Amino acid sequence: MLLQQSRDVIIRSDRDVVTARALARELATMLGFGPVDQARIATTVSELARNVIAYAGTGQVTLRSLDENQAVGIQIECRDQGPGIGDIAQALGDEAFRVNSVGRGLSGARRLMDEFELQSEVGVGTTVICRKWHTERMKNKK
Amino acid sequence: MNSLRIPILKIGQALIASIQVSLHDASAMQFKDDLLDRIHATHARAVIIDLTALDVVDSFIGRMIADLAVMARLMGTEVILTGLQPAVAVTLVELGLELPNVHTALNLEKGLALMELQGQEDTDVVAAE
Repeated sequence: MLLQQSRDVIIRSDRDVVTARALARELATMLGFGPVDQARIATTVSELARNVIAYAGTGQVTLRSLDENQAVGIQIECRDQGPGIGDIAQALGDEAFRVNSVGRGLSGARRLMDEFELQSEVGVGTTVICRKWHTERMKNKK
Repeated sequence: MNSLRIPILKIGQALIASIQVSLHDASAMQFKDDLLDRIHATHARAVIIDLTALDVVDSFIGRMIADLAVMARLMGTEVILTGLQPAVAVTLVELGLELPNVHTALNLEKGLALMELQGQEDTDVVAAE
């Protein structure tokens, strides 16, 4: 089995967004994800990291390989100590997607992933943890 | 900090730009401004943006392209996107960015053919009048 892989990227500028995206793709490729899932994973990292720049200024993205019950996946954790999100339902809603120019990335990221958790406290910060499972290897398990 | 500039080429009545590297936000906005300036300066009839080499188009870049298409149309120029990778098409739709105002073609060659076709239609309209 693959060794546990983990990557941290500090997000401070739009260049770090590109770095995080490239690392996510690299890890996804290493884990055997196909091109479409690679794009979904890289795009999600891009959306989350960009939200950090837009709302919090700085933050951190941690990418980790998952190996649970013989299912392989990737976890993206994005953490910041920014202003937090007051209305999570609104931030995740499709309405936000259309109206707000930057926050739309959140609802998009949720659609690209299999699991999506968002914790946010106003004045404390926001943490998003999402996972994508490798469907081929899930099937092999059954 | 210097941002990366995407070269914009003029061939006949078309402007052609090929995005070869993963864009960060500043270079994406620079590209939009550069392209609008070039449309104005050259009176191009169409702009072809080739994305063959791009493996990620996130909502920011997608929105930039959508905005660019609307702005170009206001100036009387059509935007044609070419060479979108299957994975990019999938993620754009899943993100909810379907780029309704943008023409598309499978590759650069077909993009140029599409532009020629549109040009003929324009000529027909003028002739009919």
